[in-house]
Amino acid sequence: MSAWASDDCVGRQARGKAIAAQRLFAALRLLGLSAAACLALSPVASQAQAVQISQLTDVGFGALTNLSADITQSQTVCAYSGALSGRYSVTASGSGAGGAFTLSNGAQTLAYEVQWNASANQTSGTNLTAGSALAGQPSSAVLPTCTLGLTPSGSLTIILRAAALSSSYAGNFTGTLSLLLSPN
Amino acid sequence: MTSTKTLTGRSTVSARIIALATAGAMLLTHGVAMAATQGTLGATSTGSITITASVPNRTQITGLTDINFTNADPSTAATSSQNDCVWSNTATKGYSIKATGSGTSGAFTLASGALTPVPYSVQWSQSSGQTSGTSLTAGTALAGQVSTATTPTCSSGPSTTSSLVVSIGSTDLQNMVAATSYTGTLTLLVTPQ
Repeated sequence: MSAWASDDCVGRQARGKAIAAQRLFAALRLLGLSAAACLALSPVASQAQAVQISQLTDVGFGALTNLSADITQSQTVCAYSGALSGRYSVTASGSGAGGAFTLSNGAQTLAYEVQWNASANQTSGTNLTAGSALAGQPSSAVLPTCTLGLTPSGSLTIILRAAALSSSYAGNFTGTLSLLLSPN
Repeated sequence: MTSTKTLTGRSTVSARIIALATAGAMLLTHGVAMAATQGTLGATSTGSITITASVPNRTQITGLTDINFTNADPSTAATSSQNDCVWSNTATKGYSIKATGSGTSGAFTLASGALTPVPYSVQWSQSSGQTSGTSLTAGTALAGQVSTATTPTCSSGPSTTSSLVVSIGSTDLQNMVAATSYTGTLTLLVTPQ
């Protein structure tokens, strides 16, 4: 049996933080970590209402050749929620006017779509509206940055629609997409 | 992107037109710095990514129809005008157009077996609704044209953007053999500028 008991560790946390702590301890137990690890990670567990989004990567569609088909890129990210419910809301904002999901070449814009899925390794999800929160997303992340090989918990999909591409001006387009996580 | 449209027609004197639109495949690269930002642990957490895409130059010509000169009166020139759609996605919406006939070395001629080929002329206007334009030389691009199309096939915005005018002169009509079918193909190549 492990040198530490999850109940002991949980007992060191405030009662309202028990769920996040238990998820953490369960992960630690799977990894065979000791009480020392429990203590070392206590600051993480103590931020029970905290959230974190990480493992984001830039999206480069490169030089497009087929403007008649939708082009999609998906990535798995880490969306951690220490809320009692283990849920979070996600709000996306683009760098277009009013936070619109548009890329720019300096003179013209190119619209894109954003989808979010609370599960890892997905290639589609719920369409996000710029500036509007998508609530009730469950996080399966057991650590804030999904380190130690623990489960990433979200998928982000960016779509360039054929309708937008085929009528787009030529040029190099770029934009920024920001994702805001809040406990839910 | 290359777009080809073949249209056929048959009449006493007919011209078949093939339109071809190509794009200079200027596959542009972009030098935008990649710098995803990871969120930090807190009451809220914000991360951001950079998204980049490069759209190459593209053009398309559509809306072409076959031309049939039926029972043309040899005492006057026979002329046919049609409105077409040319789309270009360059910043200026510019394009060049090059016409090639099916005669020897791309000549604008209609043929009927062993009979002497009959020449015709081709004019192009970057505006629709025109009955005349700039004369095209077979195989030579007419540059500096500008499109008003907002979609590749003019499905929205202006429904047509340009005019193609094909004519057979009176003298040439007089040299044609009556009740005999002459046929040719005209190919239009559009290149974004």
